Amino acid sequence: MEELKKKLKEQIIEALNLQDTKPEDIDDNAPLFGEGLGLDSIDSLELMVLLERQYGIKVEDPREGRKILQSVQSMAEFIQSKQQPA
Amino acid sequence: MKVKCYIQGMAAISPQSTFEGDITNMPLVRTESNRLACIEPDYKPYIPANSLRRMTRILKMGLTAALKCLAESGVSTPGPIVTGTGKGSLQDTEKFIKEIEQYKETALNPTPFIQSTYNSVNGLIALQQQGTDYNNTFVHRGFSFENALVDSMMLLQEGYTHTLTGGFEEITPEHFYIKSRIGHWRTEPVANTDLFNQELPGTIAGEGSTFFVLGAEANEHSIAALSACKLLYKPDPMQLTATLRELGADADLIISGTNGDSNHAHYYHLLNNTLTQPSIPFKHLCGEYETAGAFALWLAASLLKAGTIPSALFPMVQQLPSNFKKIVIYNHFYGEQHTVMVVERV
Repeated sequence: MEELKKKLKEQIIEALNLQDTKPEDIDDNAPLFGEGLGLDSIDSLELMVLLERQYGIKVEDPREGRKILQSVQSMAEFIQSKQQPA
Repeated sequence: MKVKCYIQGMAAISPQSTFEGDITNMPLVRTESNRLACIEPDYKPYIPANSLRRMTRILKMGLTAALKCLAESGVSTPGPIVTGTGKGSLQDTEKFIKEIEQYKETALNPTPFIQSTYNSVNGLIALQQQGTDYNNTFVHRGFSFENALVDSMMLLQEGYTHTLTGGFEEITPEHFYIKSRIGHWRTEPVANTDLFNQELPGTIAGEGSTFFVLGAEANEHSIAALSACKLLYKPDPMQLTATLRELGADADLIISGTNGDSNHAHYYHLLNNTLTQPSIPFKHLCGEYETAGAFALWLAASLLKAGTIPSALFPMVQQLPSNFKKIVIYNHFYGEQHTVMVVERV
């Protein structure tokens, strides 16, 4: 899980071109939108694309997306739940 | 179109050090390759960091030139925003198209798609400056900027007090390669300072972002007056001669779009035979691109403001005139779109 969160932070920084931000600057539980990283609606679409490209996970329901993209922690938990064998 | 309007502010990002605006102290930047790239300013004083991270080069250059231009003119909120571009944001367009192929039309990033549209720069200016007025981008190859100019002149005639009018273009390695395949550029590298040594097929590529605040009335900010702008599509020699005589007979100085390209040089030979006043080129400063006319207008207004022609920028001209009040700019884009502008001292 820790490894996944570290990798995810690096991918978010790269995908959103968050200049001057390092993985260690992002708190696992800090909100990604509004406060925290201060991301906006276009960033949320970029993060959806990141999930699809990097992890092969397509989020169909926008309401589900809102919960998943709350923080790095929630994103990592979602990715892990999808990657676990049924 | 013959309606007088006044340049109240202007800013240019170009392959020369134009952003600071003082043409008299500007060195001539020499480029050895056939592709002139803009000298980009520090964008941070103009664009919030959170917006900056998403923008590609041309968006940053367009928005920053527009904001600097507004600041120079003393106008905070633009009225109509009217621009011209031949290609818009090429970097975003190329990224989006490559990703369509790479990801088999799935999982596409929204940002390059949104920003690949021609009117992205206008939208960004309006958003940042809270401008809710008329907003239009003309995309007509070599007529793009001049159409924006004519539209702005008509808006001023209709009663607007001022417009924010500009032209912007970028060249990417990919686009440079595509255009080289159709013979737009010289096959051998030529330095911009040596461009006019020989007329050969092709020229050098360029890019730039130039903005003006145009006003209907002269005021303390007025830099120069634009008194005419005429567009001719594939004119025959008689038409072109007549237009040059009509608009340029009493000019003191000609700014010529000559670019050393032997394929289309005959139009500039016709210019030299028709108007015998002193003439200076400008493509060695900015390269060839669809909206290079905007740079020529910036140059004309800068020279009128300075009242002198810095010899450092025009080493190929033997004798530079010292007294000039009326400048005629003639340019064409690969023999198709021909434009004539008249700029006068206020």
